[in-house]
Amino acid sequence: MDTRNKIKSDNRKHPRYGMVVDLDRCKGCGSCSIACAVENNQQPATPDMNNRTGVTWMRLYKVHNGEPFPDSRAVFVPMFCQQCDDTPCLYVCPQNAVELDPMTGIVAQIPERCFGCRYCMAACPYEARYFNWWDPVWPEGMEKTLNPDVSPRMRGVVEKCNFCHGRWQKARAKAAAEGRRELREDEYVPACVESCPMGALTFGNLDDPDSKVSKLVKDPDTFKILGQFGTKPKVYYRTTRSWVRRAVNRDVYSEKKEKVHG
Amino acid sequence: MFPWVHEFRWEIGHLIFTGGFALVLVAILTAITLVFKKVYQIYKRRQVEKILWQATFEDFPSQTRTCRHAISGVLKQRVCNNHFECGACAVHKQLIEHGIPEKVLAAAGDYGNMEIFGLNIPLDRMYHRGHTWVKQDDEGNYLVGLDDFGKRLIGKPEEVVLPEIGSRLYANGTAWKVKRGKADTRILSPVDGEVLETGDDEKGWYLKIKPAADNSDTSHLLKSGKEVKAWFMKELERLQFALASDGIGVSLADGGVLIDDLPKSHPDADWDGVYGEMFLEP
Amino acid sequence: MDKQLIVRGVTRMEFKRFITYLIPWFILLGIGLYAMYLVFRYGLNHTNMDNRFAFGLWIYFDLAIIALGAGAFFTGLLLYVFKRHEFKSVINSAVVIGFICYSGAIAALVVDVGQPLRAWFTLYRPNAHSMLAEVTFCLTLYLFVLAVEYVPIVLKNRKLKQIPSFLVFEFKLHTFMPILAGIGALLSFFHQGSLGGMFGVLNGQPFAFRETVFVFPSTFFLFVLSAIAAGPSFVLLTTWIVSKISGKRVVTKNVFMSLGKISGILLIVYVLFKSIDSLIWLNKTSPAVGFSAADHYGFAPFGIWILSVEIIVLGLIPGLILISKKLRAKTPWLLTGAVLACAGVALNRFVTTIQTLSLPTLPFADFLTYVPTWEEVAIFLMVIAYGVIVYSFSFRYLPLFPQERELNRR
Repeated sequence: MDTRNKIKSDNRKHPRYGMVVDLDRCKGCGSCSIACAVENNQQPATPDMNNRTGVTWMRLYKVHNGEPFPDSRAVFVPMFCQQCDDTPCLYVCPQNAVELDPMTGIVAQIPERCFGCRYCMAACPYEARYFNWWDPVWPEGMEKTLNPDVSPRMRGVVEKCNFCHGRWQKARAKAAAEGRRELREDEYVPACVESCPMGALTFGNLDDPDSKVSKLVKDPDTFKILGQFGTKPKVYYRTTRSWVRRAVNRDVYSEKKEKVHG
Repeated sequence: MFPWVHEFRWEIGHLIFTGGFALVLVAILTAITLVFKKVYQIYKRRQVEKILWQATFEDFPSQTRTCRHAISGVLKQRVCNNHFECGACAVHKQLIEHGIPEKVLAAAGDYGNMEIFGLNIPLDRMYHRGHTWVKQDDEGNYLVGLDDFGKRLIGKPEEVVLPEIGSRLYANGTAWKVKRGKADTRILSPVDGEVLETGDDEKGWYLKIKPAADNSDTSHLLKSGKEVKAWFMKELERLQFALASDGIGVSLADGGVLIDDLPKSHPDADWDGVYGEMFLEP
Repeated sequence: MDKQLIVRGVTRMEFKRFITYLIPWFILLGIGLYAMYLVFRYGLNHTNMDNRFAFGLWIYFDLAIIALGAGAFFTGLLLYVFKRHEFKSVINSAVVIGFICYSGAIAALVVDVGQPLRAWFTLYRPNAHSMLAEVTFCLTLYLFVLAVEYVPIVLKNRKLKQIPSFLVFEFKLHTFMPILAGIGALLSFFHQGSLGGMFGVLNGQPFAFRETVFVFPSTFFLFVLSAIAAGPSFVLLTTWIVSKISGKRVVTKNVFMSLGKISGILLIVYVLFKSIDSLIWLNKTSPAVGFSAADHYGFAPFGIWILSVEIIVLGLIPGLILISKKLRAKTPWLLTGAVLACAGVALNRFVTTIQTLSLPTLPFADFLTYVPTWEEVAIFLMVIAYGVIVYSFSFRYLPLFPQERELNRR
């Protein structure tokens, strides 16, 4: 709430970054996950980890329609921090390790302040937060691939997607060097968006009526997952297939939910 | 937490939160500081012995705390809440003013000896509830000794630690210490004063005390025959109780005369516990 | 030497026997310390918690023992503020139990967090909106209060009280007990409540989210109520167990009955409000975000039975047993009531923590189960062993039950 006041009190109009995920385009290749892990220096998986103890800011769920073979359909749902404007994890953090950046609308996790109580993970309905259960270890030689713009996290703290905040800072520094205060739309794009071969991810300023993303948001096929919780996520999903929409979203007034397998 | 710390917010919720906890912390710390201050004052005013007695008194079971006027039968039932300091007791004062204990106190000065169950109780002196007696000598000094009941409880002590000559004693404070077998106890001083001379069993008294100039109150001591007798009866009853504490039960019902050296005749009893009970040191 | 430390006039078992009886507990303590070393050295991967099951056995255990430890503040409140003098005979024991519960909970919390050395950040730079910040503040201060309340009991040890300044300090500290009891009650009210509020505010967890009453979610008040309802029952139970193990009567029967009665009355009040709260939640709060009762109770083994057991078997029934004068006069009934009341609050804390996290919120996520690792169980048992050891030593060397001497005469 404090941060929102700051946004209002500031005369300049800051962007409010958001994303639209087109579920009809996503083929589940996983490039986004890999690009994300590399960009953000996520700790490499080891044989000890499983799919619920490893760190993957960008995570792909495979959702079936539950029908037998000839009618069987599946959809891939990339799930990551939904950058809620009414941020449940921010309110619960006892020591202000989560912040909503007034400059970008990005929800930041500050690992240096985090003491690993994991209350935010319980608060997040999207399971988009990850805890460093292990000391991060980069295999011999792999440390050369580390991104110098992003600091790796230590064991015992929580981390999550921040729309490649390192890229935003870099882009801003570059713009500042050129004497500009505003970023152009193509100047700052998260790694996942950049890496998606299907163009399923659209990123941009939600408050800019001319941006691609804000036009997509207005589309009736675009929706928020679990939007009824009132957390005001800035990540939208889009599909024209009605079964997909039913399977990935729990509408308040929908009839009996179809049986789905995760 | 503090205004100069990053993330401090001047919002009502935040201020109530941090202010509330600061207040609670201040309250706790103030309470502790006050305790230390009071302790310091107690030491400065030399009230240590008095406070120690009061602290000890809090631990007495209600049996032990029975009011002297309840023992003597003037009051039906009363538990002392005044640390046996009758001089400061409103009930005691009221009783004296209304003359009610007249019949009890009437026997004061009834010189002579009294005998209860073989206990020799001379009535030319005053008795303290910790089983010491006080007798004023010709020079106005106090002689202090152990009464017959106390003597028989301790029997032949292995060690007696008497206070140094010249040291100051306080009423209900420690006068001297006694050790017998595995049990030990301290004997309470019946009066305020300065130790002039120390005696022993042979002499029949343990201390000669010069009364304190600021406090010569003896109203807390038992004087009259009737009161003293009722009290000793009550003490015998308490002893019976104390000896029956768990572990080894000992009965004193052996002819009605108390033996000279009780620990010797009943070596199995928990004398440590009994001393605590009878010499008012729980 | 040992005999010199034992309260005058009471008997305790032989020192050798005492130590022998404690050996298994020391072994548990040792295993727990080793598990603690593993977690501190290698990280929380030694647990079976994961990115969704972020809270496990330890958080459940913390909530449960803090609820049961409420007997300390509540007995203190009844004795020092409401002047119910019959509780003087259990207050020392209740304080020791409270101290054990709270310090044990904090020990488990320290292992549970990823970076315990940063825990002070919460005190230095709190987020006032976070229920957990409130819990941290209250727990820290209340543990301090409990330690201050414990000090006079320790100073009453036979040897220690022979040091005049200790006894003088104890005596003066004791005069401040009503103030400390009041502060303790205030702090307990807020942290018991905030522990419930912690889950009641989670608008992303429809199973835990509740309507707001005044400024707090309803679970805030329900946690306070259930804690003060179960607290006296727990004091009753521990006192009874101590009396059985030591083979001594430590308090009079009427104290047991008073504790039971208070527990019973509060349980009935709690059950009433809990039922109202559950109905509002199942019919209004939860459907408003698209979650029906079937979404919460449609996964085995957490059927609707768990709610009925919590409210009826472990709420209403012990409540009725304990408010009935006839039933609570009989020891087996009194104990049954107390056991059920404590089990009820433990089940409530289990549902609040574990069931909340095992239920899926994303439509395509799975129902999860979680089994703690041996390290988690070892640390859980370590805290219990720590409690048994601290209590045993306190019972042996400190005057926990002032009535004991009088009650054990032939």
